[in-house]
Amino acid sequence: MRNLIKRLHLDPAAAWSPYRPSAEQPWNLRRAGHLYRRVAFGGNWNELQQAVQAGPEATLQRLLQGAAPTAELDAQCAGMAKSMIATGDVEQMKALWLFRMLNTPHPAQEKLTLFWHNHFATSNAKVNNVGYMLGQNELFRRHALGNFGTLLQEISKDPAMLVWLDTVQSKRGMPNENYARELMELFSLGIGNYTEADIRQAARAFTGWEIRGEKFFFNRSQHDPGKKTVLGQTGNWGGEDIVRICLEQSACPRFIVRKLFRFYVSETLEPTDELIAPVAEAFRRSNYEIRVPLEMMLRSQLFYSPEVYRTQVKSPTDFAIGIVRGLEGRVGTLSLADALDNLGQKLFYPPSVKGWDGGTAWLNSTTLLHRQNLALALTSTQDARFGRRTDPAALVRKHGKKSDEEVVGFFVDLFLQGDLSDEARQGLLNYLRQARQGPYPVYWSEQDREDHRLRAVCHLVLTLPEFQLN
Amino acid sequence: MFTRRDFLKTSSMVTLGLGSSALLPRFLSRTADAAPLSGKPGAKDTILVVVQLTGGNDGLNTVIPFKDPLYARYRPTLKQPVDQIKKLNDEVGLHPALGGLASLYEDNALCVVQGVGYPNPSQSHFRSMDIWHAGSTAETLREGWLGKALGRLNNAPAYHLGAENEAAPFAFAGAPIKVPSLTSLEEFQLRTAAASSPDSKAQRAVIEGVVRGGSSPKQESSLIDFVQRTANNTYASSRRLAEIGKNYEPKVPYPASGLANRLKLAAQLIDADLGARIYYVSIDGFDTHAGQEPTHTTLLTEVSEALAAFYKDLAARGQGERLMVMTFSEFGRRARENGSKGTDHGSGAPMFLVGGRVKAGVVGQHPSLEKLEDGNLKHHTDFRQVYAAILDGWLGVPSREILGQAFAPVGILRSQA
Repeated sequence: MRNLIKRLHLDPAAAWSPYRPSAEQPWNLRRAGHLYRRVAFGGNWNELQQAVQAGPEATLQRLLQGAAPTAELDAQCAGMAKSMIATGDVEQMKALWLFRMLNTPHPAQEKLTLFWHNHFATSNAKVNNVGYMLGQNELFRRHALGNFGTLLQEISKDPAMLVWLDTVQSKRGMPNENYARELMELFSLGIGNYTEADIRQAARAFTGWEIRGEKFFFNRSQHDPGKKTVLGQTGNWGGEDIVRICLEQSACPRFIVRKLFRFYVSETLEPTDELIAPVAEAFRRSNYEIRVPLEMMLRSQLFYSPEVYRTQVKSPTDFAIGIVRGLEGRVGTLSLADALDNLGQKLFYPPSVKGWDGGTAWLNSTTLLHRQNLALALTSTQDARFGRRTDPAALVRKHGKKSDEEVVGFFVDLFLQGDLSDEARQGLLNYLRQARQGPYPVYWSEQDREDHRLRAVCHLVLTLPEFQLN
Repeated sequence: MFTRRDFLKTSSMVTLGLGSSALLPRFLSRTADAAPLSGKPGAKDTILVVVQLTGGNDGLNTVIPFKDPLYARYRPTLKQPVDQIKKLNDEVGLHPALGGLASLYEDNALCVVQGVGYPNPSQSHFRSMDIWHAGSTAETLREGWLGKALGRLNNAPAYHLGAENEAAPFAFAGAPIKVPSLTSLEEFQLRTAAASSPDSKAQRAVIEGVVRGGSSPKQESSLIDFVQRTANNTYASSRRLAEIGKNYEPKVPYPASGLANRLKLAAQLIDADLGARIYYVSIDGFDTHAGQEPTHTTLLTEVSEALAAFYKDLAARGQGERLMVMTFSEFGRRARENGSKGTDHGSGAPMFLVGGRVKAGVVGQHPSLEKLEDGNLKHHTDFRQVYAAILDGWLGVPSREILGQAFAPVGILRSQA
């Protein structure tokens, strides 16, 4: 991945100025698809058409508010959560989140929840508690589009996190440094913006932080109340003070904005400090309201420029959810969760506290093969796990596409927004034409043959290299 | 069993199928040149297997200075019983769980290098691991030491044998051809839903054709290039590996562990003479901040048993002299245990080298337990000295170019003084 990264030297004012549709930079299916892929998990046919009609600002607002309230879905998920907490079933836990991603009217919220899950990467492999993991997931969702300062304070006391980074074991006189280190290195400041001494002092402030009755509990007798000097500030600091001190560092908004940039704008372009500065400053001045840097980036010239178009690799979640939402289907999410494991993203089980590296790390010979085979499973209607509920043939009929050109055009527009060479497009048309000739099993009806051709060509579109790029 | 003859026959068939040998993935067309001379003494195509212990292995409890009274003092709950430590000499011995490695020591197939690290050690997992992978302590790291080595090995193939959820190691970054990651041979099949055999062929032609020719109108993003190359390699490897037999019969039983399974896969690939020079596996779980035992014992057992079976299996097939296994971790751990019966991040630690031509024995002194550096064991051997010995002496590639400067190689090979 490192060989693909280019340093971006741009005039910040120009880069962050708002995008306005023009003849040279029209608002079209490509840009609408780009926005939907980045902010959500990709759009279905109607959503994309609507977005083209409505324009970039209205579409962005619609995505950030959500298309409808989530109250009903919340209640449904809370009910399901209750039962799996009782049984401790981890497979159900993954399936529940995928269910949300597929059915929510507010996919932007789920996408940002996934971002925080990766940022504060906590794995159930060690936490081993479905209730804690779901609780942490809810915490991310609650603050996804809210305030980062509040999120940072609350995650420090989150039971899953307390277990994950050994804070519960940190005692007066023998502090455990794990949380203090990751808080600074990975969650708020980044390497180079603190010293080992800061970590050792900060670790003392988190002593006595325990869990009782499934919730955070402050055990005063195990807490080291003495004077500590952290990042130049001296006092009888407790954990909340350390979090506050981290938030006061100028490195903090820059660090978070860089991560948001990588997730929403580009994985191959590394912004200079100069470019990041205005966004980081706006973030800081707003007292860490997450929507501020997000909107600034998502409505900018830079966001809609060719420099950042398709400069990310889809995560397994983007890949799979994008296909199912695009096909307007319903699938059993237990099987889907299992499939995502093979693609290299086991929800609730990030490989380490650094999260998933993302970018080209998602693709190697094994994971790419699994992606292609998953695309087949979702489109062929032959896979017992997914059945007939994501049927490209039904989708084509629903949207009234008939001729070969219309069918290929439809799938290419839906899934690739037209990003395809003429040569490849011709290859797809050739396949459709020649598939008419068969041979076919004798017991297949005319309908069977037709459906087979449609499903096969949909699968072929999903195996194209462009589809891997976000 | 799939022999080299069969393989060469197949590769020429594949060449015809793809229409142009210029487009054939290098690892297929070059393999004939790199064809092994196994059976001949002094065969040139040596193999390196890297075993990464992820998380920071506690070196002090792995190669133990059992005579030093400070050991027991620093490790009140974690110290290993002296009578169970497997003595290597009068000074140090192996953790009781390392029985497999002890037997390799008796077979003169184990070299233990003590006190390995680098100056100004980083205690961040990610920064330190990057340093080991890059073979450099520079601020910006873009390529891996193995990736650069492959560039000078006539584009010989390499394989990363990964567990689930495991990204390809940064150590391979910069390799001329992207190193494939495999979890098992069986999964490695591209599937289609075809109505007939001609239909299947037609579908495959589309899927594989676009990545050979290039499907994107504008190659602005080198990411698309990356995806196409990865895909091309994937499909080619898939076809090749589907042919490697499931008929492999190990000469010694392998334990039933994740690491052993991955090493067994490596053994099959080595035995199939694909010409690969480097294999990479990892085992995770060494970040033992709390409750280090019995976790550490379990992990060391897995490493020890798997390495012993792997080496003995290949030695029994006459491949022992071609093989070198290198273990490493991103850092050791603190000399003193912490209040949670665990240990926090440290620095200097030992490395193991296993193979038919390693210089059997213990290299270097155990770092002083008295003169600690910031609570950590001070290294005396730079890890790049071990890399230099492997690059120059074992793989036959110039270490100075790969590491950016000259490092005095450690004597880890039998032929060396």
